[in-house]
Amino acid sequence: MTDQIQKAISREYEAGFTSSIESNTFEPGLDEEVIARLSAIKGEPQWMLDWRLKAFASWKKMPEPHWAHIDYPKIDFQAISYYSSPKSMDDKPKSLDEIDPELLATYEKLGIPLLEQQMLAGVAVDAVFDSVSVVTTFREKLKEAGVIFCSISEAIKEYPELVQKYLGSVVPRTDNYYAALNSAVFTDGSFVYVPKGVRCPMELSTYFRINEQNTGQFERTLVIADEGSHVSYLEGCSAPQRDENQLHAAVVELVALDDAQIKYSTVQNWYPGDEQGRGGIYNFVTKRAMCHKNAKVSWTQVETGSAITWKYPSCILRGDNSVGEFYSVALTRGRQQADTGTKMIHLGKNTRSTIISKGISAAQSNNSYRGLVKMMPTAEGARNYTQCDSLLIGDQCGAHTFPYIESRNPTAIVEHEATTSKVSDDQLFLCQQRGINSEKAVSMIVNGFCKEVFKQLPMEFAVEAGKLLEISLEGSVG
Amino acid sequence: MNSWFDNALTRAEAIDDWLHEKRAASLALLRDTDWPTRQTEAWKYTSLKKLEQLDFSAGTPAPSINAHSISDLNSINLVFIDGVLQSIPADLPEGLTIMPLAQVPDEHQPWVLDQFAGVKPPQHLFGLINDTLATDGLVIDIAPHVDLKHPIHIIQTMTAGNEAHCRTLVRVGAGARVTVIEHLTGDQESFNTNFTEYSLATKAELEHYRLALQSDAALTIGGSHFNLDTQATLNSTIVGYGSDLARIDVDISHQGEGTLAKLDAIYLLDKQTHFDLHSNIEHTAPNGTSDERVRGIVAGKARAVFNGRIHIHRYAQKTSAELNNRNLLLSRDAEVDVKPELEIYADDVSCAHGATIAEIDQLALYYLRSRGIGLEQAHLMLNFGFINELIDQIPNAVLADWLRQQLSGRFTRMNTIKHSGQEMAQ
Repeated sequence: MTDQIQKAISREYEAGFTSSIESNTFEPGLDEEVIARLSAIKGEPQWMLDWRLKAFASWKKMPEPHWAHIDYPKIDFQAISYYSSPKSMDDKPKSLDEIDPELLATYEKLGIPLLEQQMLAGVAVDAVFDSVSVVTTFREKLKEAGVIFCSISEAIKEYPELVQKYLGSVVPRTDNYYAALNSAVFTDGSFVYVPKGVRCPMELSTYFRINEQNTGQFERTLVIADEGSHVSYLEGCSAPQRDENQLHAAVVELVALDDAQIKYSTVQNWYPGDEQGRGGIYNFVTKRAMCHKNAKVSWTQVETGSAITWKYPSCILRGDNSVGEFYSVALTRGRQQADTGTKMIHLGKNTRSTIISKGISAAQSNNSYRGLVKMMPTAEGARNYTQCDSLLIGDQCGAHTFPYIESRNPTAIVEHEATTSKVSDDQLFLCQQRGINSEKAVSMIVNGFCKEVFKQLPMEFAVEAGKLLEISLEGSVG
Repeated sequence: MNSWFDNALTRAEAIDDWLHEKRAASLALLRDTDWPTRQTEAWKYTSLKKLEQLDFSAGTPAPSINAHSISDLNSINLVFIDGVLQSIPADLPEGLTIMPLAQVPDEHQPWVLDQFAGVKPPQHLFGLINDTLATDGLVIDIAPHVDLKHPIHIIQTMTAGNEAHCRTLVRVGAGARVTVIEHLTGDQESFNTNFTEYSLATKAELEHYRLALQSDAALTIGGSHFNLDTQATLNSTIVGYGSDLARIDVDISHQGEGTLAKLDAIYLLDKQTHFDLHSNIEHTAPNGTSDERVRGIVAGKARAVFNGRIHIHRYAQKTSAELNNRNLLLSRDAEVDVKPELEIYADDVSCAHGATIAEIDQLALYYLRSRGIGLEQAHLMLNFGFINELIDQIPNAVLADWLRQQLSGRFTRMNTIKHSGQEMAQ
């Protein structure tokens, strides 16, 4: 068994290649001047620069948080370069033909069917390659429906009234240490606006990839679903293999106005570091949704990458009858550490939330669920159901659960359940009896364990997530 | 820092007795500890404000007190009033030795020195304070293979304007069986810290109760801490009323193989009482079992805090651990904050926890009313049933009956009918 575990652990990172694209990168370091330069390069208006500087001023005063169940060397924020843009992108391409072919080859290796998707899947991709939005497909088709899908930099210039109204309205720039840092230095990200009553004609997708050495990826995503609208957003992430740790501090804000629905799905496969724990992405992400009356926000995430994951996609259920959902599969192996979960803040009457979290730890990794369910006195008749299950593979890993439950309304009902176990010997035996080898059996059992979450993912993502899990677990049980 | 704490440190420095070395070590740790704020995880939901303003330096002489002995219990009673031990019964059964902490004979000193601050984990701030200040207390030794028929009943009463710090050490010898009841009473303005450390040798069996029945203005912080050696068995029941400040830490450490621990806790809160229960179960050896059930009823403007941690270490394979916490929240002004935690480093284990917070099931209420039971009576039946489930399993029938009586008195006080939940539409 141990040999096979070793084999599984030492599996190389498949998305771990470097693209040698000429890029324009800032010297490492962070101060007001860097922020001003960054803002100037992006041609931002004064209000944006002021906003960034205010965020930077508060970030400088904030202490680094250490409450998570993770352990890592101190991050030197002055040793990071805060801007990197592929040089050949200085003149923005008008179509896919104008894109650097090597860049396209990179995407191909990653398996993002950028070209195919247009025809087959009907997915519009806003690919972020080291901080600058490279290409946005299907813009025209979306425009017809009135949907705005562009990079946040573009939105700042073209839709300043929307950005000014909603940027920082869900995650204030002083929200936490990493959100403040992101507010000061975010380089790019996606912006989505779905107008009243519109059902977005296709699933929107972004693909993030950190390419340059020593660069931090600070993207900022803002999704606004106006009254009665509906949108589904997919996010995928990967990064090349390097010895140093790279920082990724993103902020995602979702605004679901009355009767709107947002479905936000993530498959995160950043480089997790090697088996000694060298290198890998430090992923510190703040994701939060504001749900107005009758709105529904659903977070689905499959987390298999990153050396460190610090991520709590949350819902503020402000409007009456609003619904928040969180479905998560987090797999850690090698020396990966994940501290992830959600917050459901119930303010409105009859608000409902469901949390399904599946954690799988293998090898020497640590996987924690950390969550908060809060029923405010106004949350009349609110309902929460939480289920956190952990699976341990091997005797060197750890699985932890830290749920906080606070209730201040007697009519609210909160239920929390958590279990921890290993892959059951009985189940394995049953499969083997029927001629299924142990490796296949484990894969089946783990897939079954995660089924509740996978079925929430859009089709293509569900297939990818299942495959990702299968590869990651290859040979982990003998 | 605050005046109470500064004052406590000064008092601690002045104490010089046979436990001096132990006290000095804790004092050193204490000086490095920050006074808790809302940012301190262990005190996130419990404010120490009421304690910070406390000044009992004047002290008030204790009025005469009726010992709260429980009739028919046939117990060995040890009564403390404001932290002062009244007397130790003369004719103790064979195999049982009871001595005041201040006067431990030489032959017992080595193990007492070992156990003092040796079972209780050092991270409890008030445990450290108790280490340095507790000059009163008891040392109880049960010889191996003694089956003690009489429960040991330790009654601690606090009176108005007093502060006391008590430490009790209990050693249960191999194969011995014993029942220990820690019973705290008083509702006048007072403050006590009360920590008890138990060590259970191989195959020892302990039936333990902590009846934290102090309430209203009696501030109390304390803990019961257990070390379980191979195949030792612990059956513990905790009952709490809450007060202006009430905090209990329970630590159970499964150090030997094949240990069994059962922990039941009940809290009944009303008015503006606050009750904070932190339980921490450590499994460091294989084949251990722990089963924890916590039920709470919270009414008025009360606040209940429960933090239940189960920590399974790398070598504690084949552990089975379960924790279940259920809360009835009866009032719009009350609050329940719970945090069940699992921290698991061994793979072949079976662990689960669950927590719920809600009001009484309206359907159950409707069912009772449809059978002609009045609203008030129906509430009482359901509330009582909710906790009676645990009381029914108390092994000592006399104590269970006595507790039922006490709790029903408490229910009358809570007057649950006045809770603000809506009645079902008729």
